[in-house]
Amino acid sequence: MHHAHIDKFAYQDSPAHQLDSRVKFIVVLVFTAIVISLPRTSFSILTCYAVGPFAILVLGRIPLKFALRHILLVSPFVLILALSGPLYDKTPVTVAFGPFAWQTSVGWLRCFAILGKFVVTMLALIALVSTTRFSDLLAGLQHLGLPKLLTIQLGFLYRYIFVLIDRAHHILQARAGRKLRNLGFKAELRTAAAMLGSLFVRSIDTAERTNIAMQARGFNGTWRTISKLKIRPADYIFIFAAAFFVLGLHFFVRPFLQ
Amino acid sequence: MPKAIEIENFSYRYSDGTIALSEITISIEHGQRVALIGPNGAGKSTLLLAMAGFVKGTGKVLIDGLQINRENTKKIRASLGSCLENPDDQLFMPTLFDDVAFGPLNMGLEAEQVKKCVTDALQTAGLSEMADKAPHHLSAGQKRAAAIATILSMSPKIITLDEPDGSLDPRNRSNLIKLLRGLAQTLIIATCNMNLAAALADRVILLDKGRIVADGDAKEIMSNARLMAEHGLEVPAEIHKS
Repeated sequence: MHHAHIDKFAYQDSPAHQLDSRVKFIVVLVFTAIVISLPRTSFSILTCYAVGPFAILVLGRIPLKFALRHILLVSPFVLILALSGPLYDKTPVTVAFGPFAWQTSVGWLRCFAILGKFVVTMLALIALVSTTRFSDLLAGLQHLGLPKLLTIQLGFLYRYIFVLIDRAHHILQARAGRKLRNLGFKAELRTAAAMLGSLFVRSIDTAERTNIAMQARGFNGTWRTISKLKIRPADYIFIFAAAFFVLGLHFFVRPFLQ
Repeated sequence: MPKAIEIENFSYRYSDGTIALSEITISIEHGQRVALIGPNGAGKSTLLLAMAGFVKGTGKVLIDGLQINRENTKKIRASLGSCLENPDDQLFMPTLFDDVAFGPLNMGLEAEQVKKCVTDALQTAGLSEMADKAPHHLSAGQKRAAAIATILSMSPKIITLDEPDGSLDPRNRSNLIKLLRGLAQTLIIATCNMNLAAALADRVILLDKGRIVADGDAKEIMSNARLMAEHGLEVPAEIHKS
């Protein structure tokens, strides 16, 4: 079955794809921390920060539509949080943008700040995931000190989530093929519980067979991999460019926009 | 020289008491290609698991002269490679390279040796270009070949395959037959597909209800229409024509 993978473009070849996963991860982490810590009134500077991940997306030849679609997919969770702002903080405030000025509330300001920061940080995250193979990202995280057990679990999650989605989809198709009338809430709930149970049992079966496959190939509890990560001159240039971009915005552009 | 597989009076029951295998006695020489045939539930997969030491019953199981026990496990895993029925169970690493390298790394080989093993195995399986792909990006035929590559990289003397042609189209099945015919190892293939068995095996062991019903020359057994029908099987098209 074909899946809309989040790492659909991670197998392309571009200067952004060739960068070391550890470097990209650290840069995105620092960038995210800076964007989150921006004051809630800094909309102009927030827009400037969006240029960074946007440039990586362009450099990596990732369609903006793809990035925006994934932002929209995750947005409901953040929308709930953001829209709660106007409900509990109605303190009036005047906002000015060039020659225009209008009255609003602190709650709405907070709402737009959350949404703006969410979009910019998500763009950075999508730029990272779309230009880095998941296996390289895991290897990078392991080199950066993430516990091995956690990277193994993330690896299995990434490997089997698509198998699980396939199975769930097949179960839903089997149900749809035999469901000829509305069964009522209780019966639907019972069916859903049975479907989840079946999925759970099959997942356990898969885990057992995977364990056999691992043991058959000599696995004794110690996880061994070959590292292919290497820091190249391009990675140093990227670090320098990212630092220049962030520091330039912070010390030179931000004072003008406030 | 010890035999590839030697099983004497092996019996195994499931936890609910059902007899899965009963007094199995088999002797397989190195270099033989054996098809384990039989209807669903005959005990073929369980017998393969017993050969790899994953099912422990009564009786004796020797792999390349080594009795299956805790001390010999590592040596047995290196000489007998098991390929499971579903490639999704076999391919569990984020990339094909990592998956094929998993076995050699566990055997304690150096990084350079591992890379060579992986390159050779992928080349044999016709997947050299796919090394950096994630398993879920492979087609069913490629997944099957990749599962075999994960075993080949460990250079085992014996390879067991459980229903290797499951869900393959005719072209991929033909590619799989070509791949398996090109291997020098002892092959033990559990299958319900008589055409696959006829194409690959020189010896057939017919199992039903956990017992060996027939053991001998592949053509001789599979051309016996009455025997095959009695056990819910069919005469392969190739033998039927001739």
